[in-house]
Amino acid sequence: MKKNGPLRFPNLIYPLMKLYQLLSIFFCITLILTFSSLRVFAQSPLDKTITIKLNNVPLKQALDKITAATGVRFTYNEAVAASNIKLTINAKAQSLKQVLEVALANYPYNYSQLDQDILIRYDATKLKKPDAEPAAKPAAAGKFTISGTITSKQSGETIIGASIRLVDGAQGTSTNGYGFYSITLQAGDHQLLVSAIGQKTLVVPVSLTHDQRLNITMEDNAQELQTVTITATQKGARDLKSPQMGVEKLNIKEINDVPVLLGEHDVMKTIQLFPGIKSAGEGSGGFYVRGGATDQNLLMLDEATVYNAYHLLGFFSTFNSDAIKNVSIYKGDMPAQYGGRLSSVIDVKMNDGNNQKFGVSGGVGVIAARLNVEGPIQKGKSSFLISARRTYADAFLKFSKDTVVKNSQLYFYDINAKANLVLGDKDRVYISGYLGKDVLTANNVNGINWGNTTATLRWNHIFNNRFFSNTSFIYSNYDYEIKVKQDVNTYKITSRIKDWNFKEDMQYDVGSDHSLSFGVNSVYHTIKPGEISASGNSGIISQTLETRYAWDNAAYVSDTWKVTDRFSLTYGTRLSAFSIIGPGTYYDVNADGAITNSTHYNSGQIVKTYVNLEPRAAAAFQLNDISSVKASYARNAQNLHLISNSTPGSPTDKWVASTNLIKPELADQFSVGYYRDLAEHKYEFTFETYYKKLQNQLDYRNDANIFTNQPIETQLLYGKGRTYGAEFLLRKKTGRLTGWVSYTLSKSERLIDGINNNQWYNARQDRTHDLAVVGIYKLNDKWTLSANFVFYTGDAVTYPSGKYQIDGATYYYYTNRNASRLPAYHRLDLGATKQLKKTKKYSSELNFSLYNAYGNRNAYRIFFRDNKTDPNKTEAVRTTLFTYVPSITYNFKF
Amino acid sequence: MHTIRFSAILMILLGLLSSCEKVIDLKLNNSAPQTVIEGTVSNEAGGAKVSISLSKKFTDDSSFEGISGAQVTVEADGTIYNFDPTATGVYQNATLVGIPGHTYHLTVKLNDKTYTSTSTMPQIVKLDSIYVVDDELSTNKDKTKLRIAVVKYQDPANVQNYYRFIEYIDGRKEKSLFIDEDEFTNGQTVNSRLNFNNDNDDPAREIRTGKTLMVEMECIDAAVYKYLFSLNSGSTGNDNNAAPSNPTSNITGGVLGYFSAYPITRKTITVPAN
Repeated sequence: MKKNGPLRFPNLIYPLMKLYQLLSIFFCITLILTFSSLRVFAQSPLDKTITIKLNNVPLKQALDKITAATGVRFTYNEAVAASNIKLTINAKAQSLKQVLEVALANYPYNYSQLDQDILIRYDATKLKKPDAEPAAKPAAAGKFTISGTITSKQSGETIIGASIRLVDGAQGTSTNGYGFYSITLQAGDHQLLVSAIGQKTLVVPVSLTHDQRLNITMEDNAQELQTVTITATQKGARDLKSPQMGVEKLNIKEINDVPVLLGEHDVMKTIQLFPGIKSAGEGSGGFYVRGGATDQNLLMLDEATVYNAYHLLGFFSTFNSDAIKNVSIYKGDMPAQYGGRLSSVIDVKMNDGNNQKFGVSGGVGVIAARLNVEGPIQKGKSSFLISARRTYADAFLKFSKDTVVKNSQLYFYDINAKANLVLGDKDRVYISGYLGKDVLTANNVNGINWGNTTATLRWNHIFNNRFFSNTSFIYSNYDYEIKVKQDVNTYKITSRIKDWNFKEDMQYDVGSDHSLSFGVNSVYHTIKPGEISASGNSGIISQTLETRYAWDNAAYVSDTWKVTDRFSLTYGTRLSAFSIIGPGTYYDVNADGAITNSTHYNSGQIVKTYVNLEPRAAAAFQLNDISSVKASYARNAQNLHLISNSTPGSPTDKWVASTNLIKPELADQFSVGYYRDLAEHKYEFTFETYYKKLQNQLDYRNDANIFTNQPIETQLLYGKGRTYGAEFLLRKKTGRLTGWVSYTLSKSERLIDGINNNQWYNARQDRTHDLAVVGIYKLNDKWTLSANFVFYTGDAVTYPSGKYQIDGATYYYYTNRNASRLPAYHRLDLGATKQLKKTKKYSSELNFSLYNAYGNRNAYRIFFRDNKTDPNKTEAVRTTLFTYVPSITYNFKF
Repeated sequence: MHTIRFSAILMILLGLLSSCEKVIDLKLNNSAPQTVIEGTVSNEAGGAKVSISLSKKFTDDSSFEGISGAQVTVEADGTIYNFDPTATGVYQNATLVGIPGHTYHLTVKLNDKTYTSTSTMPQIVKLDSIYVVDDELSTNKDKTKLRIAVVKYQDPANVQNYYRFIEYIDGRKEKSLFIDEDEFTNGQTVNSRLNFNNDNDDPAREIRTGKTLMVEMECIDAAVYKYLFSLNSGSTGNDNNAAPSNPTSNITGGVLGYFSAYPITRKTITVPAN
């Protein structure tokens, strides 16, 4: 290893590094100034004083005059603007609050603060007063449903997770993964406040006398300083009412300013800055959610399972941020529609493609280039999107003097493609696909390539105002191929996991109090664990390991019940049935891992079916306008297991389905949380705590041979686990400065028969402390600065506690598993984005980032060896991967 | 050795991405000294030897710290062979010559404790020949081609075989462990490389033209193979193993080490020019 690194990034970039060191000091100073100047923004518009005299002035004109006098803007709908009421005001140095209070006292209108603006809205409750405005209609009886799709005006993209609620916040809902919403309200006049990240907030008046379809288009928030501050901060921005806990929803626009390694925006890296989601370390794309292993995360791209979510040994995720619209992360409390993994669900939704106009965007960075093309097929009705990436890091290899390095390849590419078609008012069809491939070759002879392929065909159908259905057919494939050539010998090893998947998800809005979701899911898995073909004189016989087949079925039903205005409940269950299907030979194994019996099953014969009832329940109680408490319980079962024996994880880690011996892994998670909006909804605070019990956990035996063709069960041991922790998040979503502070205190342990003398031991991912601070500062129209800092307790590892001689060589003696710690990890990253040119047709920006800005030498791993000069001595050696990695990326759009 | 060197490829590529190694001062917990027993019986005179030593602290020097005063015997076919100390911690029996197919029972009595083990000497599989090839990926420190010894032998079908090879370069024993089994090569003529990483760039470990190369081939039993396999993968501290652990010993009583009865064959060549 040591001899093979003549080309090293630090050497290449040393001069740049010095420059960036200076810059980083500059950035630090800027940020400190920023934090201290924060308070300037705090004054409420309602506190402004005003001196004004108005006599019988129509409402709209009166408001305009107040704006002229104070600079405070008002937001209202057309009904307010057209109102025929007239105001008389006589104020001398009074606060705006007092003025409005008096002026509107006798009219059915209300005022409230909406960030820096004031929202004027119709208020039916004031109608009971004797001199109410006669214009108000009498309330019609009964309840009706409004439903529709919310899309972006500019791109025609459906908007996921947009909030639709009554302006007084009493009732609300949000759009589903396809931009569809349905809300049932009392008959009469209402004002709906529609908001979404990156979109201008709308107030939509509705007069409800019958069920209604209402498709809403929202305008993008232009990248202007002024408007950035107005992004939705109405009451309950974080869904204080919704019982869903342990969730982070990210719009891709939110992550684009977070600094990243080598300038490649990466949703998977950004989510690791949230509490409870922890990086598995540099050089690994994996992450741990609430003490679970990396394989306990379900990664879905447009509903298709992605088995290996990483490129280039984990440095990049397979999710190209150009093609992604939205990411939702459920940390163990997943809704009943999801299942199959214990720790989390990462639901990634691709962009649909702009159905309004044709556009090209892309970027060129230090190691990769991206291109994204999208446009309408038929304007407003159908669109397509193609997004591709390729790295060219291997171009640097050509500069190497070492011929082995020179003749090596190291790259990945991926392509996302999607098309969608609106078929009338009620139907929409989507076709999307992903293809990604990694290639690593050394000296043109030895190499590995691996990749995912997914394809999804979906059909959205709206049966009626209350009933939404999505039907999906999904194909998913992951495979790798290793090629080795040695002397006269060649070897090829291949492995694959392939799924055919059918999903039917339905949402039914029963009425204002109940909303049902239910569905079925059926997946057919084919797992080819390995095939080796060899030629030459090595004596290795070409062979194929038995292919495994499994049929994974599930059905679920879940009801969200609004019990009272303050109390809501989601309860439901998922029933999963995992059948292992022949042909194949299955074994019995004794305590030492030796095979005692084998049974052959014919094609189609069922070897075993595991049925698991997975109940889920969650409740939210809203304490007041700004705070709520929630509690939740969820059980999850997992029938696909990734068996890995290496620290960073590798593309060759084995996916194994449950067998007669490998039981489904089970997790029961209990959690409680407290949520609060602070400082006029500018900040949100979240506190969640959880306890998770794990059953049927797997680990390799101490003497396991991972390259055997013996049944995998001969190499495994089984046990249980427990994890618990507390997570804190303070987030600022508006203003020039946005960002968050996240902190997790946690514990994760395992107890496996035959490991660590059958005592509880720390899981490798046990992290006592984990802190992340993210700040994004919009300096002006041109510059956005950003920084993030992470600190976490080092991984639990096993260090030697002695050494001994066997046949003249030194070996190490180990006592307790994972009783030691890698040194604590910490790192600061800096980023800056400069908007270059911006016209209606063309815009471009430059992004600078510096990863590990103060060059902390974090331990990638620590190993032990004989001293080179004195073999009688042993020493500990720390390997560091990245210190100071600067990058420049140029992004364009036209 | 048949383990495809995938991890080696990974390491090279990770190495490209700026890996930086530094010897650091690490505080390690020290366990109480553990007893280590390494016992062998071969089909040659002088091959019956038991070494007993204590484990040491990580910071100590690595030398062998023998324990004297043990009572060591091996029983075979009803005969008990006593092992006498020839150096501190080294016990030998000059007359015991093992026979393939026979079972050997080791008993070590030390400080009121008794440790026992059993090993059956496998049938001889002869080392057919040895030769040298150039490695495709690595070089010696001076950028000359790294050369690797290859062993050739005929694996017998219908029986599971486990092998250990020991490489000597100009009479100097290479400390790397070479083991093999016939899981993927049953009944075949096998050509297998003795790959190792010259991690301290010691020229004495390099195979060069004109040097004398000798390879010994031991046929070992399954338990010994398992021990050596787990010793190699778990206890060297130098791979990416997620959780290193102590190897599975075939000696009962709670000690480190193993007991192996094996037949031995050897080949010697003078390394030709490449």
